[in-house]
Amino acid sequence: MTQKNMVLSLYKQGSLLLLGMIALVLCTPQLGNAQVFRYPESSKQSSLMPFFVENMSAVRITEFIFEPLVTKNKRGDIEGVLAYSWTPTPDGLGITFKLRQGVKWHDGRPFTARDVVFTVKAAQDRKTLFNSKSKYRFIKSVQAIGDYQVQFRFIQPKKKPEELFNFKIIPAHAFKSTAIKRLDKFNRRPIGTGPYKVEEAALRVTKLVKFDGYWGRASIRGVEMIHTPDSSEQINLLKYSGQGSGVQAVIFIPPKNLSIFENSDTVVLEPYHTVSWWYLAFNHKNKGLSDVKVRQAIAMAMDREELLGAHLGQGDILSGPFTESSPYYNFDVEAREQDLDEAKSLLDQAGYRMKRGVRTKGRTKLTLDFVLNKDLPNSQQLALSIQAQLKQIGVDVKTTFVDAALYQEKVFNRKQFDLTMNVWSFNEIEDIFPLFRTGAPSNYISYSNKAIDAKLDESRRESDYKAHKEIMMNLHQMLNEDLPYVFLWSLDIYSGLSRQLKDIFIQPYYYYSFFKDWSLK
Amino acid sequence: MSQIGLDHPQQKSAMLNEATIRWSLWLGSKLLRGLSLLCGASFIIYATLRSAPGDMVDLILGLNGTPEMKADLRAEFGLDLNIIEGYGRWAWRALSGDLGISITFMPGEPVLSLAGPAFLVTLSIAVVSLLCSIAVAYGLAILLGPPRPRQAFLLGPIQLLNAAPSFVVAICLAKVINELIQFQLAGGGQIPPSWYPIPTYQKITDSIAPFCFAALSISLGDGLFTDLFNALRAELMSLNESLFISAVRAKGAAVRKHLIKNLIVPTLSVFTARLPLVLSAVVIVEYIFTLDGSGYLLLQAAKNRDVPVVVGVSLFFIFAVIVMNLILDLVKALVDPREVAKGD
Repeated sequence: MTQKNMVLSLYKQGSLLLLGMIALVLCTPQLGNAQVFRYPESSKQSSLMPFFVENMSAVRITEFIFEPLVTKNKRGDIEGVLAYSWTPTPDGLGITFKLRQGVKWHDGRPFTARDVVFTVKAAQDRKTLFNSKSKYRFIKSVQAIGDYQVQFRFIQPKKKPEELFNFKIIPAHAFKSTAIKRLDKFNRRPIGTGPYKVEEAALRVTKLVKFDGYWGRASIRGVEMIHTPDSSEQINLLKYSGQGSGVQAVIFIPPKNLSIFENSDTVVLEPYHTVSWWYLAFNHKNKGLSDVKVRQAIAMAMDREELLGAHLGQGDILSGPFTESSPYYNFDVEAREQDLDEAKSLLDQAGYRMKRGVRTKGRTKLTLDFVLNKDLPNSQQLALSIQAQLKQIGVDVKTTFVDAALYQEKVFNRKQFDLTMNVWSFNEIEDIFPLFRTGAPSNYISYSNKAIDAKLDESRRESDYKAHKEIMMNLHQMLNEDLPYVFLWSLDIYSGLSRQLKDIFIQPYYYYSFFKDWSLK
Repeated sequence: MSQIGLDHPQQKSAMLNEATIRWSLWLGSKLLRGLSLLCGASFIIYATLRSAPGDMVDLILGLNGTPEMKADLRAEFGLDLNIIEGYGRWAWRALSGDLGISITFMPGEPVLSLAGPAFLVTLSIAVVSLLCSIAVAYGLAILLGPPRPRQAFLLGPIQLLNAAPSFVVAICLAKVINELIQFQLAGGGQIPPSWYPIPTYQKITDSIAPFCFAALSISLGDGLFTDLFNALRAELMSLNESLFISAVRAKGAAVRKHLIKNLIVPTLSVFTARLPLVLSAVVIVEYIFTLDGSGYLLLQAAKNRDVPVVVGVSLFFIFAVIVMNLILDLVKALVDPREVAKGD
């Protein structure tokens, strides 16, 4: 056999092998199931255990698996979930919950008052380390009365205390002690009382299946969360929203992609309001930025309408630390509009004169280090636009883009920044105390104002709703004048959902709170 | 007085012992070199990650973490130890096959169970694309014979196409596939074809198509095929013209056996030399085809500052290259025992 014949015979064999492979590819059974709801998330859940939810992806997926004692229903009223009735004590220092009977954990064991007591004790255990421990600090003691009743005592009197019991309950029998470690196996294969139980937590996909022993009703047979970091990939997946393929929901559709689905036969755009707002923060340790006139000048140099429209789509321009849907939003306070002359005049009043293209006062130059987290949507375009706008009044901005871990280190820990842009998200109502109170944990901008501190303290003490609201509206006005941040905007958020989904109701923060009512046709 | 012959049993046994010792020494030195490389590389990766700015504890506890909480969590993760101690503890465990557990990306999951399957995906794509390229390169080299000016018409375009980086080829290929699926769906459907179900990234049993496309992109990009073709053709030609092959031909015996035996070492050398480069190219390409290989795991783990996972995945890469080099040395030594005698 010559070499060429040998090669030809090899190629014959090769082509047969190739045909075999093509046949195998074509015969590969199509994956997926008509009754499975699939959705992508841009970040993977930090954990499947309610204590360790540190990103929105974890907040959303644990909604399927765990349940709280009470929750807010679609009208915003408190409704029982694992508790069916509750009685607060007249002094406001305690509450007793009666628990639902016949509720089972995913391993078949019954849910009892012991689990509620364990959850609170574990959350309060010094060795259980998680970032929302403060949610449980108001509880002084907890005690089970029989199997289906539990009694709480508080440190301070509480008005409507039942609202504070929306934390999720974990099973006592799954742990050896109340000191829960982050790396426990339970956190990857958890057991809850919710309508869906964990079937598989793989590298990219987390699969949940309907829990047959669930005390309530759920329509859809399974849920799959697919970690898809790229937002354009998410959009692509939504295009294939048919049964057994693609995804049936994308939680956030970037404004530039909205037009793809505007007249779609297969996807519907569902607007919803999150309690979150964007801000431009000043480092108050910076000598120039500690002057309120400089902060006001920067705020007046910015055209927020243009920034929002050009880079993020639609939303509301804000004048204070609340969204327009918040009861505390003070509509009498108007958002500043761009006024370059006024901005320049404010800098003149503050003593900053132009020197080689940059405003300077003595040895203080308004050259600012603008540090941004790369993961913030459109951060690069926004930063460049802000840089150009501030240049018009002689403020020189130098941008630095870093990843999430480095951002934490640089901005929150070392405070190596002059300006930064970020978003605050809240689960229900904006609690601004930790953001602006001197020395509070989230006051990373080193902001300190005695009048604001006094008002914030007053807001904490006041239990009368009307008086509390009045204080918050005052705070809105004071913060608008003093500008610890430039309050930017809250966005109009759209989800893309397959038209095969029926009876949809989106909870703005937890998202899937009412998922058990959803159906997939 | 009688002279001891070469076939005397005592002399034979002495020679055998000497050979065994030489082989053991040679193998031992190779293994030692591999192990020291593994230790050095893993230490550099570990130390770099630990000293990189941005801390996983800060990422987890954020602004709400008190200094005491952060210190406790650092102790829980073993981050309270300095770099040398931390590495020492990790290396000691790694010797018994325990590469630690993921801390932030998939908290609590053993690194071995995460990195092993992911690396297998990456390795299989790299090996398949290398083997296919070598097979086609040999086929073409045999068909074309010695270089001739006319061949430029065929080889020129191949070289030109092959000049693009593999990730560019992968992006183009993914775009074409996407357009193809969109075209197929133009009738109003919303279900992608069975040969490319979406999303399927997990196992080869889900769909073989993304794996094939990733391997194809690797073969077509980075000049891989052209390099292999040139190297193997040159090897084939020089062997074909060598004196011992002419002698075999003159004897009328089959040349094939001799050719194959003499091509093993150069082929394996090319394979081993290219493997690290191909592995690093696969890391990017598999990400484009959304395959859950080391690329996805490395990127996510690095983003989350998950030190044990990044070190674990990197270790697999280093290990694969060391093992391949060891195999190459072994084959070389088996084919040509003078390698061992040289003590190289």
